Amino acid sequence: MRLRIIFSVLGIAMFFLIPKLFADYNLYQFCLIAVTSLIVLGLVIVTGIAGQISLGQSAFVALGGYGAAILATNWGVPLWLGIPLVAVLVATVGFLLGLMTLRVEGHYLALTTMAFTAIVQLALVHADAVTGGAAGMPVPSFELFGKSLSTGAELYYLIVPITALLFIVVINLNNSRTGRVFAAIRQSEIAAEAMGVNILVYKASAFAASAFLGAIGGGLLAILVTYLDPAQFGITQTVYYLAIAVVGGLLSPFGAIIGTTVFVFLPEFLQTFQTYLGLVFGIMLLGFIVLRPKGLASLIDIENLKKIVFKSRRESVGS
Amino acid sequence: MEANILGVNNVTVQFGGIIALSDVSLEVTPGTIHAVIGPNGAGKSTLLNVISGIYSATKGDVSFEGERLSGLAGHEINAKGVARTFQNTELFKEMTALENVKVGLDRFHACGVINSALHTKQWKKSDAEADEAARELLKLVGLGDDETSSAGILPFGKQRRLEIARALATRPKLLLLDEPAAGLRAAEVEDLIAILRELKTNQGLTILIIDHVMALVMAISDRISVLNFGHKIADGAPKEIRESAEVIKAYLGEKAADAYST
Amino acid sequence: MLGQLLASSVTAGAVYALVALGFVLIHKGTGVVHFGYGDQVTFGAYLVLIIQFLTGLPFWPAVIVALFASAFLGWAIYNGLMRPLRNAPLLVQIIATLALGTVMREFLRAYMGPNAWSFPFLLTSSSFDLGGILLVPANLAIVGVSLALLCLLFFLFERTFRGKSIIAACDNRTGASLVGVSVSGVFSSIWMLASVIATVAGILVAPVLTLSPEMGLIGIKGFVAAILGGFNSLTGAVVGGILLGVIETLVGAYISSALKDMISYGILILVVLVRPQGLLGILSVKKV
Repeated sequence: MRLRIIFSVLGIAMFFLIPKLFADYNLYQFCLIAVTSLIVLGLVIVTGIAGQISLGQSAFVALGGYGAAILATNWGVPLWLGIPLVAVLVATVGFLLGLMTLRVEGHYLALTTMAFTAIVQLALVHADAVTGGAAGMPVPSFELFGKSLSTGAELYYLIVPITALLFIVVINLNNSRTGRVFAAIRQSEIAAEAMGVNILVYKASAFAASAFLGAIGGGLLAILVTYLDPAQFGITQTVYYLAIAVVGGLLSPFGAIIGTTVFVFLPEFLQTFQTYLGLVFGIMLLGFIVLRPKGLASLIDIENLKKIVFKSRRESVGS
Repeated sequence: MEANILGVNNVTVQFGGIIALSDVSLEVTPGTIHAVIGPNGAGKSTLLNVISGIYSATKGDVSFEGERLSGLAGHEINAKGVARTFQNTELFKEMTALENVKVGLDRFHACGVINSALHTKQWKKSDAEADEAARELLKLVGLGDDETSSAGILPFGKQRRLEIARALATRPKLLLLDEPAAGLRAAEVEDLIAILRELKTNQGLTILIIDHVMALVMAISDRISVLNFGHKIADGAPKEIRESAEVIKAYLGEKAADAYST
Repeated sequence: MLGQLLASSVTAGAVYALVALGFVLIHKGTGVVHFGYGDQVTFGAYLVLIIQFLTGLPFWPAVIVALFASAFLGWAIYNGLMRPLRNAPLLVQIIATLALGTVMREFLRAYMGPNAWSFPFLLTSSSFDLGGILLVPANLAIVGVSLALLCLLFFLFERTFRGKSIIAACDNRTGASLVGVSVSGVFSSIWMLASVIATVAGILVAPVLTLSPEMGLIGIKGFVAAILGGFNSLTGAVVGGILLGVIETLVGAYISSALKDMISYGILILVVLVRPQGLLGILSVKKV
């Protein structure tokens, strides 16, 4: 318990200290990491923890981003309201998509979710009346209490707390019944069903959760990049999110943060090799899935750390 | 005669052209241990899979406490009070023994998504209760010291017992055991017999068990049904089954049965 | 008008059919779905250009070298990647093939640049008139090669000992190895064959589509064709491919050009939900 308080205090102190220490550009990067890790977190839940392969993540991101931007542009719904509103709708779409798992699994699930991504992308191209078609559309600025947020620092104070809150919720749920049932479904569907788990509802819920996080991430991403076009949301992008999840660690919410940090900062170090960036990402994905399929998070054994902390505490209580 | 807790009524199961079960009926009396035996391929596992909702019967139906089970999904059947174990153990291998049991227990210790998401005091309380209940079950099957071990690395005999603990966690009235003694050493079979007796006498559980291990079946069963090639060929007390020519024929062949009867 | 539409839709369909044949071959033969196959088709076409750059060979010899090189590539993919992963969870296999496709595509982007390359037609691309319908020899070649490959594969699987041992190896790995079939040898040759098909498809398709690293997206249409026809059926792959080409062209011409691409993905989802075994496939019963 005491450890938790210390960590919370440290975290909050760091949160307020960081904007003083880093340049605006770095803060913008932190925002990008936060948003991308939210999107990847969705993938970690559905594909990593619940074991249902999804190639639909960038479609959820697209729906979240475009949805909020269109509501704001055409109907004047402010983004702070539009983003969560749209995310709930997208979560419903995710739930319906998840209900397909009743009939579809494995390869077929990968193909269907891939087709879903392709359909959404094509719809964005062809619905040019509201989306601007292949050329894309600008995102209205994010206004809160009459003030428009645009600099890295301003967005930092918006995006990082939202991300932190959602991560805490997901980590807590992962450590309670929901997470256990998801993991149970991944490890043996037939046993989970026999233990009284309505696996269809849970699988659909995993999709809904990943859609919700993807859509929130998409809305925030729209604010960050200020311009949306369909090319940002294709199958290639879905594989990019998957690569982040795999490199970070598919089985752990922390994997989403670790993976995203690597993928956002790597281009900085490889600036002279910009042309090889995509290749480096591809090779990393291939290397990790073959040699270390549980990703970087498995190098830092969080469960083991927990055990050590708990054990030492129990022993000290006992003695 | 007491009303049965489980009734299998004229069940036929067909896969394509293969008939796995043919017009099989049996009745299980509450508070008893009922065994189903038979040679390989007799349809024993199919029978269990039909009762627990993994397969559906082509003809006939299954009733539990007077309600029809046929047509219900596996989780609904479990909610009615029927739990099972699996022949080739279907544990959640990457979870600890304690977590395996908690998957079954959790719905009795639920406290809502919001409490879980924020890990409120109420959640902590119900989670601690679930832990306590899970430990009790692990102790019951003799796994008290293994709660933090991953299920996948437990020795085989312990995995079998963990499956029983996990099934018990869903608070069943009827427990279906699919070859719980297969591959166990003699000492482990003794442990299993003790556990099953304890469940029957002290917890009032009804058990339907499938097994090849005669030492186990003869020691604990109140009643035995025998399947052969999808047909029920005998049904009775262990003593009657042991002396049935029909059964000996199924197991040992015609000549042995003749030799035995003369 | 309709006749002309059908003639050109069959070409598009034959392209899908070629790609679908490769998928189905790998899936039927080794149980793996190669999600990077579309990229491998692109890679195959680029291989000819790369060999020309490196060796200065003329086009046709370069094609022959490329075919041998892709057989080696297939061997390397199986022995270097898929064989070590043969007991890995399905999820890992799916991601590995996706990653393989990404690596190929990004290699081409880095090494050959992101822009399109021109690629010569094998036969003339100037059309001739047949009973009022304009036909293009280069397109006919695609149709012809698809059908020829189908016949060849059909013969290989159904009529030869090798083919029978392949089917045996897929059905039951242990059983096949007990009767003396080398499973890894069989799988190895399937990957080699599928890689050669990818290169053939790439060479035929590159001049019709545009040869850029993104051409691999054609792979998805190949999936749709394979699913439509039945994922385990070689004939189904060709039928599914042609059918998809026809449906797309008709929808594009008579309903809306915006729907043309979407319809194929819609078909994929519909078929998977309603008739997962496809038109010509056989549903396998899962054992619990």
